[in-house]
Amino acid sequence: MRFDSAVRKAGLVVAIAALAVSAGCAKKDESEVQANGVKLIEKGKLTVCTHLPYAPFQSKDASGKVIGFDVDVMDLVAKDLGVEQTIVDTPFEGIKSGQDLNTGKCDAAAAGMTITEERQKVMNFSDPYFDATQAMLVKTGKPYKSLDDLKGKKLGVQAATTGRDYARKFEKEKGLQLVEFEDLAALQQALANGQIEAAVNDLPVWTEYIKEHPGGFEVTAEFDTGEQYGFSVKKDSNPELLKKINEVLAKAKQDGTYDKIYEKWIGKQPNS
Amino acid sequence: MKLRRRQRERLSLWLQYLAFIAIIAVVIFAADWGRLRDAFFRVDIIESMFPTIITVALRNTILYTLGAFAFGLVFGTILALMRLSRVAPYRWLATAYIELFRGLPALLVLFLVGYGIPIAFPEREIPGGVFGSIAIGLGLTAAAYMAETIRAGIQAVPKGQMEAARTLGMSHFTAMRTIVIPQAFRIVIPPLTNELILLTKDSSLAYVLGVTAQTIEVTKFGRDTLNDRVNATPLLVAGLTYLAITLPLSQVVRRLELRYAKAR
Repeated sequence: MRFDSAVRKAGLVVAIAALAVSAGCAKKDESEVQANGVKLIEKGKLTVCTHLPYAPFQSKDASGKVIGFDVDVMDLVAKDLGVEQTIVDTPFEGIKSGQDLNTGKCDAAAAGMTITEERQKVMNFSDPYFDATQAMLVKTGKPYKSLDDLKGKKLGVQAATTGRDYARKFEKEKGLQLVEFEDLAALQQALANGQIEAAVNDLPVWTEYIKEHPGGFEVTAEFDTGEQYGFSVKKDSNPELLKKINEVLAKAKQDGTYDKIYEKWIGKQPNS
Repeated sequence: MKLRRRQRERLSLWLQYLAFIAIIAVVIFAADWGRLRDAFFRVDIIESMFPTIITVALRNTILYTLGAFAFGLVFGTILALMRLSRVAPYRWLATAYIELFRGLPALLVLFLVGYGIPIAFPEREIPGGVFGSIAIGLGLTAAAYMAETIRAGIQAVPKGQMEAARTLGMSHFTAMRTIVIPQAFRIVIPPLTNELILLTKDSSLAYVLGVTAQTIEVTKFGRDTLNDRVNATPLLVAGLTYLAITLPLSQVVRRLELRYAKAR
């Protein structure tokens, strides 16, 4: 019995279709691997989502390696699991909306991310690991001491951040002109170019920026919003990893490792 | 089993139809429609996006597109004429420009315009603010593409048109302006409309310049709403908003092409 080539071709189409369909329907969970009883998406790797650059929490050094406060803390978690940390640079929107975790792009997110009620609806947060305050950066010598001085002026914020949400609350009241930038680098560039008069972001981020550009910029206002950073994992699906992160955090705070990392990246010791 | 050729062809065709139907059926039955609806089609979110998506976002998208298109069309026409010029340096210049800007991603050009010009000329603003930056940034890229299209259009006008005009005593410039270019543009309307559709979507790159509530366009508006509501519905709404502009445009092109085909 000889099959004709046209029939064979049609058969091939059916076979490919069946393959595609079965691949599409395969449950992702089955392909997950374990490390010390913790589910991971890739063997031997703790895959962590972040959005670059966000110094001092995560940024690239001269050799292109991602370094920072968050990186060091997540390294402790990876070490405890006996795996290596790999970092995925992805837009903050994907991290914040929980989609990067939901779609299995990464095991955890460590992106200098504030724990908020909205975000808690779409992902599980670890215990807080950092107290953050918002701050306003201006070019040295400019007369802007508070949001009140910025009436009708352009204030830059970073898209999808709590700094933006904070500034937005005062947009109408103080007559601010909010300009949203996709990432920190563009925001800093715009401030340096004079396209905006001031910028709001997390205080440690500005401290780091001033350190790198001495004399050019100053923080003229701090807004204590009571924000705390947390690491996050996929909603209701990886309690083991969440538990592990919390354990490592608690241990690091106890044995002084946390303080060392804090001093290395942020400078002064935490108050507590 | 020996089949005749016609039978084989029909069998093959039927198998392909079957496979096609099978794929669609599997997708329909296997998809989790409830979750899909919750993620992409929340009516309350759709309602919350109106009317801003039309009054602000769509308006800006159209403005940016038209600005870039106008800039690109004028500049592109100049480039096309330069490429057809008898003066060699003009040709070299235009060719170099077209090769350069056709090869650069629009995002990079927009970034260079938005952040480079303020560095080069401190304390000076691009006229029109964000609108000006986008019109120039996207227009620079669009001009490179349009120049080639327009040049092809000019070359497609029969040589006899120019010769006849010159015989009547018209100058080269007048003949070009009144006889050749109008005919050329008639020829290139369909490809230029394609460029307009491409620009409509490229206007979403405006986000690299930093946008305010007044200068926001459709894509950024969708992404922002996604962030606020932590739901993907706004992206679907943004997508449909683009289709509301591009589908009628495509229809116009099809009509024009038909009309020209008949006229010939």
